[in-house]
Parts: sequence; structure tokens; C-alpha cells
Amino acid sequence: MRRLDIASAALIAILAILFPFFVNAYWLHVMIIGMIFAIMAASWSLIAGYAGQFSFGHMAFVAIGGYTAALLATGFNLPLPLGMLAGVLLSALLGGAIGWTCLRMSGPYLAIFTMAFSEVLRIIIVTEVEVTGGAGGMTVPQLFQAKTDLPYYYLILALLIVSVGGMMAVVASRWGLFFRAIRENEQAAAAAGVKVTRFRIIAFAIASSLAGLAGAFYAPYIGILTPDVASQDQMGLVVAMAIVGGMESLPGAVAGAIVVEFLVEALRSYGQWRLVLFGALLLFTMRFARNGLIAPGWLRLRSLAAPRGPRLAKEAAD
Amino acid sequence: MLQYFLIQAANGLVIGVLFALIATGLTIIFSILKIVNFAHGEIYMVGGYFGYYVITLLGVPPFPAVLVAMALTFLFSVAIERGLLTPLYSPRIERKADYGILVTFGLSVFLRNIAIIIFGPFPLRPPSFITGDLVFGGLIISYDRLVAAGGGILLLVALIWFLNRTVWGQALNAVSQSRESASIVGINSERMYMLAFGVGGALAGGAGALIAPIYSLSPSMGLVPDTQAFVIVILGGLGSVSGTIIAALLLGLSENLFIAFLPDPSRGPSYANAFGLAIMMLVLLFRPTGIFGRQHLAME
Repeated sequence: MRRLDIASAALIAILAILFPFFVNAYWLHVMIIGMIFAIMAASWSLIAGYAGQFSFGHMAFVAIGGYTAALLATGFNLPLPLGMLAGVLLSALLGGAIGWTCLRMSGPYLAIFTMAFSEVLRIIIVTEVEVTGGAGGMTVPQLFQAKTDLPYYYLILALLIVSVGGMMAVVASRWGLFFRAIRENEQAAAAAGVKVTRFRIIAFAIASSLAGLAGAFYAPYIGILTPDVASQDQMGLVVAMAIVGGMESLPGAVAGAIVVEFLVEALRSYGQWRLVLFGALLLFTMRFARNGLIAPGWLRLRSLAAPRGPRLAKEAAD
Repeated sequence: MLQYFLIQAANGLVIGVLFALIATGLTIIFSILKIVNFAHGEIYMVGGYFGYYVITLLGVPPFPAVLVAMALTFLFSVAIERGLLTPLYSPRIERKADYGILVTFGLSVFLRNIAIIIFGPFPLRPPSFITGDLVFGGLIISYDRLVAAGGGILLLVALIWFLNRTVWGQALNAVSQSRESASIVGINSERMYMLAFGVGGALAGGAGALIAPIYSLSPSMGLVPDTQAFVIVILGGLGSVSGTIIAALLLGLSENLFIAFLPDPSRGPSYANAFGLAIMMLVLLFRPTGIFGRQHLAME
């Protein structure tokens, strides 16, 4: 089984590297956006799916990463990569701070608190027109001077692999067990010796820093940054991606994000219907397939591919 | 200047009454179903549109139209509850609170965006209840606002009567205290979940229909009341109807006075929402049981 996973991961990596040579500039752009969303969805699934903290403030950190990079680059003439790094660090710091602030909250209280944080931030960005450009947005300098999107593509591919690989390593380690223990029952986890406070803050800091990374990359790539990135509709889109992929599966969230983003583009001519469809898809998945559509589908496919019988029994014994 | 503050205070109280309608709906749903309805603002929006179409398409006069809109919102909410929330009562589902959060959040995105398609993105305004303004000394207030506040107060009184003086209200109270004990005395709790979600939705719908002539209707009109209702129920203590009503009046008043006192008028309206949210965040941090200190039930 493990061999099959590694083989398919290698195949997907090769396909991803060769992808730009098979498609035109438009679909390359769609893929880049899909991978940005993949980082957001996977990091949200780390904090909500694994650690059980339903934060609706995830997009606030995307905005923090993006606006920090943009403001440092335009206002202080700092090199853009440094600004992006600052955005990631600030997101990690503020994410940890939010995690620390709402240590005593759980479930709907946490969801309301983080949603309020996100809304307050969005309102500030909209209102402080002199600094942020308000609802009209602010222009962000380019990261590369190239004519094609190829450098962006390979950079975001590398960032996606590093961040999702890093999160998968965290989840596979003892930390992943701690996260899940906290999700299932905080008191029991604390009684079993899990440092609940520390790991709730760590989960928030990791997820927020990656959200900030996605935002810091998104801003110079698109070239214009608006407060809409922190809107509840965008949050809904990311939640739909993570849930369609499978709440407790980081590769599932990545696949969910890319599939949903391609659907978004394929349905572009239907305009307003898109968010309706994703709302409906989210409702359908929650109502009838709570484990998501993509991750369980992959597991089923894998069990079909693997030979049955003695080998299966041997693996169970391992 | 004093006159300006008076007008702002009066407007604040009117809005406070309507906030109270929306937020008591949210609190009733919470105390019975034990979920926070993230789509509550969207049900308020749907109620406003129901009112509009009952008036413009069916030709119902504005006053009865509010009641018709409430009845329609009641049915609409019950349909949502039957379609999406029944897994909350099934023993096979784990982490019910998470399911409630995600399903209602998805519903809010869905309703907000399908409303743009069905109702159009442009603001609609139903005819006034009574045209004109009441001038009382230096105080000028439109009759529509007075009607909205009066209607809101009537509905709140009716709600309190319903909750305290009727069999249905007592059954709801019993279920909110203990589902198991309520079933032992023969209360069908599933029916109470339907009733609570329906009544909660109808209150929001009534607020939407009452407010429509003051502000116009738009598909995104639910976004602000959504968060405002959270602010109110957290301030008042989740699950407490009287605390919710007081907190709603306080919030409506203080937000409007905040706008009046803020030196920069162009920023006032947008920071007024942030002001409420910031207060809520502080309350959640330092006094999570609400400012009146009600001990509410722990979340599952």
C-alpha cells in the first residue's frame, strides 16, 4: 500500500513539473491560483480537521500576509521577497496570538470569535483608504520580470510541496497525535499529558503562517490586492475545498482546492451560479458524505488496485 | 447638536428593537438545538424578500404582509431544519457542534448567492407602512421607523407570552433544560427542534419585513445583522431571551451614539460594526457567560 502511495505521489510530481508544457497560459494561470488555494485549504484542514479548531478567521491571515508584503514593498521600498517573509512571520505571530487569546473557547464560540477578528480586520482595510487603497484595492509590484507565468508556477509548486509536505510530517509525528487528541477531548488529552495550551497555539501558528504565505504569494502574482480576500464568501470557498477534499486529509484538501478552482473557471460563463454551486456542494458533502468526496474516493480506488487476500492480512498484522 | 444626538439615540433604539427580534431568534435556536445558526442573517434577508413579494405580487397591504412573511419564513426554516439538520439528532453522528457550524455556514454562502440570482443584485424597496415623518419638538423620526419599532415590540411581547404562558413554550423550555427528561415526560423533542428553528427563523423574517421600507432589501443585507446578532447573543448570554433583548437595545443605542461621537464622520458607519464586534471579542474573552452573568449550558 505504501509503495502505491509513493508511486502515485511521484507520478503526480512528474505530471506537475511537466504540466506547463501541455497547457496554454490561461490554464497555467488557473493552476497557479488553484495551488494558492490549495495551501489555504490544506492549512485550514490542519487546524479545523486535525486540531478541531473551527476558525473562520483563516482568510484574515491571507490578508495579513498579502497586505504586509505589499505595504512593505510599496511604502518602505523593501525588496518584495523580504516583505513576503515579513508577511509570513507576522501571520505566524498573530496566528499564535489569536490561538493564545481564544484558548478557553471552543466550537461555535471560537468560530464566532475568529469570524469577528476577520471582519474587524476587513473593515479596517476597507476604511483606511489612505494606507490600503480601501475597497478598490492596492497595486502590488511584480515578483518576476518574466513574460510568462512559468517562474510563478514553479515557485508556487515548490511552496505547495514544502508546506503540504511539512504539514504531513507534522501530522504523522507525535504532534499530529496531540492535535487529534485535543480535537477529540481536551480534558482527556490534558489528563493524558498533552500540553493542550502549547499545541493549540502551535496549530494556530502553523496554519496561520501558511495562510499568510498563500496571501504573500497571491498579492504580487495577481498584482492587485483587495479586502475581498478576507470576505466570508472567500472563506466559504476555502471551506468547501477542504470539505470536498476530505476534512482530515491534507492531500485531499489540495486535490479539493485544485478540482474546485478548475470547476470555478470552467463555470466562469455561469457567473453568479458558481458560489451557489459551491454552497450546494458543501451542503451536499456535509449532509451525505461527511468524510469528503476525494480522499475516501482515493482510498476506495487504492483498495481496488491492491490485491486482496493474504497480503492484506499481512499488512494488518504490520 | 443635542438634537442630532437625540435623533441618533431614537434611531438606535429602533434598530435595537429589530436587532432584538433577530437575536432572540438566534438564541432560541441555540438553546433548543444547541447549534449557532450562521445562516440566521440570510433567513432575515429571505424574510424581507418574502414581505416584498407578498406586497408587490399578491397585493397584500403592508401590515398583514409582515405576518404573511413571518409565516412563510417559518415554513422555509422548518424545511431547512428537516432537510439539513436532522443528522444533529442522530446518535451515529460524532462532533455535532462542528456539523452544525459547517452546515449553517455553507447554507449562508448558498442562500446569499442564490438570492442574487433569484432577487437580483439591485436594492429593492417595498412601499412604506405610513409615509411621512413625525416631528416632535426637535426630534424628527419617520413613521416607518416608529412602525418597525412598534411592530418589533409587539412581536417580542407575543414571543415572551408564547414562551412563558403556552404549552408549546413550556415544552420548549423543558427541552432546553434537558432533552432526556423532556422525552421522559412525553415531549416529542424532534417536533420541538422543528418548532424552535421555525420560530427563530420567523422572528428574523419578521425583522426583515419590518426593516425593508427603512433600508432597502439586498442579497447581502444579512451579513451585518449576522455578526450583530452574534454580538448581541454573546453580550446577553447565549440562551437567555431577556438578556438578549436588553443587549440588543444597548448595542443599537451605543452604536448610533458611537457614530455620532466619532470625530471623523466618513468612517463612523463602517467602524460602528467593528465597534460592536470588538466589544463582543472582549466579552468573549473576559466574561463568556455574557454581561448579565447567566450560566448557560456547556457546548457538547
